[in-house]
Amino acid sequence: MDLSDSTLVERACSGDRAAFEALVERYADRLHAVVRRLVTCDHEAQEVTQEAFLRAWRGLHGFNGEAQFFTWLYRIGINEANRRLKRNAPAANAQSLDGLVHEVSDNAPGPAAVAEQGDLRAALEAAVAALHPDYRTALVLRDIEGLSTVQTAEIMELSEAAVKSRVHRARLTVRAAVATYL
Amino acid sequence: MIQALLHPIQFRRDCRFTMDHASEYLDGELTAGEQERVEWHTSICPKCREMVRALRRTISGLRELRASPSPTDGGAAAGVLDALRRAPDPTVPAEAPTDDTHDGDP
Repeated sequence: MDLSDSTLVERACSGDRAAFEALVERYADRLHAVVRRLVTCDHEAQEVTQEAFLRAWRGLHGFNGEAQFFTWLYRIGINEANRRLKRNAPAANAQSLDGLVHEVSDNAPGPAAVAEQGDLRAALEAAVAALHPDYRTALVLRDIEGLSTVQTAEIMELSEAAVKSRVHRARLTVRAAVATYL
Repeated sequence: MIQALLHPIQFRRDCRFTMDHASEYLDGELTAGEQERVEWHTSICPKCREMVRALRRTISGLRELRASPSPTDGGAAAGVLDALRRAPDPTVPAEAPTDDTHDGDP
């Protein structure tokens, strides 16, 4: 019988590693999928995912249960991913949130180039990858992971209005990038 | 487009409203009155109608990306469990955190 997150968290707080491992089994792949869209490579995504769970394990006593466990976990993972992005990004490529939504990517082809290859899915992936991290995070959580505005706001520590604004701008940008397929 | 000629100011306002709130409309987050406003406007404005259609298709495409196989499919948990088993029990005093913390974020 599957135990609820709150039951597993309660047991893990008492030192029950097996309970925490059940939470790992439940959320590791999805957290990895989210983080993979924020960082630059699979290896880094795996490191971030591991670090997020280790932080959650060490800080479980500080989880007060006001938020859902997975929104708390995702927040840890996304914050860690953002720390690495800031640490690794060249200053010259930094884009302000108020400016362009697109950021300069590394060697990945841009959305237009991918669109020429005749694949909507690939064009969408490229368009999402080209977004500024703050817009990309909101879009990934809301549209790819299917979380609600409330859950996304909890994870990103933003107001619901701010989340809606970022999601809307991100969607319009992606739509423009893949227009030939729509 | 007769409405655009007869009531240009309102038409432009409705265009702006539709553009600004298209996501909320598609997410079902508008009030009944606002929804009706968007639906009326898109029925008479080809440009906004196409924008909403394209945005709907974009959102649908994004949702399908969730099914994309992850390179570690099922393997992310194994890596985490391995790291976890090497980690000390949190009841044992650990090194102080080295970076900034967020409320609830250890």
